[in-house]
Amino acid sequence: MIHITIHDKACRGCQLCLDICPTNVFTFDAAAAKATVAHEEDCIGCLSCSYLCPSGAFRHEEHRIVKNFYRDCEFLSRMEKFL
Amino acid sequence: MPELLEQREQLQATMTFLGAIASGIEQAIGESANSISYLAGKRLGMQFSEHAPKTDDIEEALSFVGKVLQENDCLWQFEPFKVHNRPGVISHSEQGDEVMLVFRECMIRQSLFKFGHHQKGSLCNMMYGFFSGALKNIMGKESSLEILHAGENGCYKRLVVFKKS
Repeated sequence: MIHITIHDKACRGCQLCLDICPTNVFTFDAAAAKATVAHEEDCIGCLSCSYLCPSGAFRHEEHRIVKNFYRDCEFLSRMEKFL
Repeated sequence: MPELLEQREQLQATMTFLGAIASGIEQAIGESANSISYLAGKRLGMQFSEHAPKTDDIEEALSFVGKVLQENDCLWQFEPFKVHNRPGVISHSEQGDEVMLVFRECMIRQSLFKFGHHQKGSLCNMMYGFFSGALKNIMGKESSLEILHAGENGCYKRLVVFKKS
């Protein structure tokens, strides 16, 4: 399962992560004015929160990074028929 | 190795070309570009799944679609996904059966990034068409694939397989 950490001091409470997340992983702690992780198990690993966060407050672990397949030699060798 | 490098250049050029076509066609004909991509995907889906086994079970049908993609070297891996507040992977409605899908590796997404084009555009409808064509062959039913979120490292889509009318 993907593990998400929000750096407490970095989060400015802008809620952009809440707006972008398609599976509502985050909630907003109004008292602390910060985003918190509520349903980590729902994270699909799209990394949109991480890309969007102005403070770079997110850290994802155990997620799969999609490779640039066109740089992968093994995959390239299978692509001939498409060219 | 030089052959492979040449092939890599060709592939990257093709991807950029694909992005340029998508961009150009959207500007030229607007929303009709979606239908063109959809129909191209549907044709591909029907062609690739011509000899796929038939089933009425949606989960089995999805595994057949995945296999069809893999056998044809299409880098469009997907998996059914269940969020915590849904009772199961498949939910049933009056329309039909609904499954949420996560797409990780995607040839289209990478082509769009390579050209610098936005996501959720006309080319993304190709996958909708592919599923539509493949599921028509495998289950004999119509379906829709709606993009709920297009992310940098994955996309989230809703597949509805409609009841037979």
